[in-house]
Amino acid sequence: MEAPNKEVTAQGLNWHHLSHCPRSLIATAAPATTSRMPRRGMERLDLLLLAIEALDLHGSEAMVWSCEQLQLQEAFPDRVALWKSRCRNPLRRASRRGELNAAEQRGLVELVCSLADRLYPMLRQLLSSSEPAELNAQRWGLFRERYNDLVEGRMNGRRGAIRQLLDPADGEALRQELVLTLALCCGPGGVQRLEASLLDGSR
Amino acid sequence: MTNFSSLASAAGLSGTQYKLRYEQSSCRLELTGLPDVTAAASADQPQQQLNILTGWDLNLGQKASLQGKREHLQALVSAVQPYVRLLVSAQPCQQSGGSDAVVSLEPQDDGRHLLRLRSSQPDTPPLELALDHAELADLNHCIDQMLVDARCALGLEVQSPQPLRRGQYRRSSVRRQGQWIAPAAACASVVIVGALVSLLPLPQRTAEPTGNTTTTEQSKP
Repeated sequence: MEAPNKEVTAQGLNWHHLSHCPRSLIATAAPATTSRMPRRGMERLDLLLLAIEALDLHGSEAMVWSCEQLQLQEAFPDRVALWKSRCRNPLRRASRRGELNAAEQRGLVELVCSLADRLYPMLRQLLSSSEPAELNAQRWGLFRERYNDLVEGRMNGRRGAIRQLLDPADGEALRQELVLTLALCCGPGGVQRLEASLLDGSR
Repeated sequence: MTNFSSLASAAGLSGTQYKLRYEQSSCRLELTGLPDVTAAASADQPQQQLNILTGWDLNLGQKASLQGKREHLQALVSAVQPYVRLLVSAQPCQQSGGSDAVVSLEPQDDGRHLLRLRSSQPDTPPLELALDHAELADLNHCIDQMLVDARCALGLEVQSPQPLRRGQYRRSSVRRQGQWIAPAAACASVVIVGALVSLLPLPQRTAEPTGNTTTTEQSKP
């Protein structure tokens, strides 16, 4: 069925945003990278990276490769440094104390967005309602299986958040939320969006 | 993908009309316009820029094809970007753009996103399109590409994403369920043990047998 072309016309647009930034600044504007990332932001960032690993069998290799592509060697000179940064997540089984510095914080955000961009066709398939339902259910099942395996292996199962993530009832919605976040963090404006969302509640 | 093509006087225009196209799987955004030849070109700006928008066309797969002017494009950007920003934070979304805005976006119970386009023509019902997550991501991707494209110099007003304040932010993602149980149980056990201990009778001290203590005073010789 061909949808009719409809022209939307309006007069007198009289509402404005409270704050504006010029278009040219979008690519460079970063929301307060020096702000301390809250604990929840670090947890979420690591869970997003874990979701990427669950989607991509070679996700951990892709992370190292992407660090080189994005010229993040200063923050993550090798895979051990990357792993140490990810271990700042307090939900991890072997969690490291301390906070991420600005370079690590920005680097991990860029890494997530870059990998999400690479996986966008897969993310889109998972989120699309036009895909065959049975096939999509299989895809979600595979993702759930791999994600739960990774969570069980690396996270502290005594934490309420992890129990909730592994819970069959609550976990489904949380996994969908993570996949949707990855899909919306693709593209040129993704880094700023994700960075802002990880700093929620910090001001 | 972005395609920049010039349609030289195709429609009888005296100047050169430019067309910018941003495409995703279910979405295609096409801008048509003219360069501002009066603007002084600087060294860091691309020579071919679309400064004056004559029209735009948004094709959402088989759902609809929308055309509009610059104000409508601005309204679309202003509705989609804050909505997506809240979705990334996994916050319960509300209507973005306002109830009277030309373009608004709001969540639906089935998980879809209702894009509503209102016409200024009287007695014209608003056009409503239900987008799923993938279609919304495609639309957002196209808008992002347009906003960072240096050749698209329309000067659209865009709100830069900012972290939500504590009052605005509601924890809905990975909640720490039952995190208060352990400290509460510890406090309660300390109180109960203290109360029980206070009920125990104190051992009564037996009076020490008073010995015949005689003080002898030695008289000095």
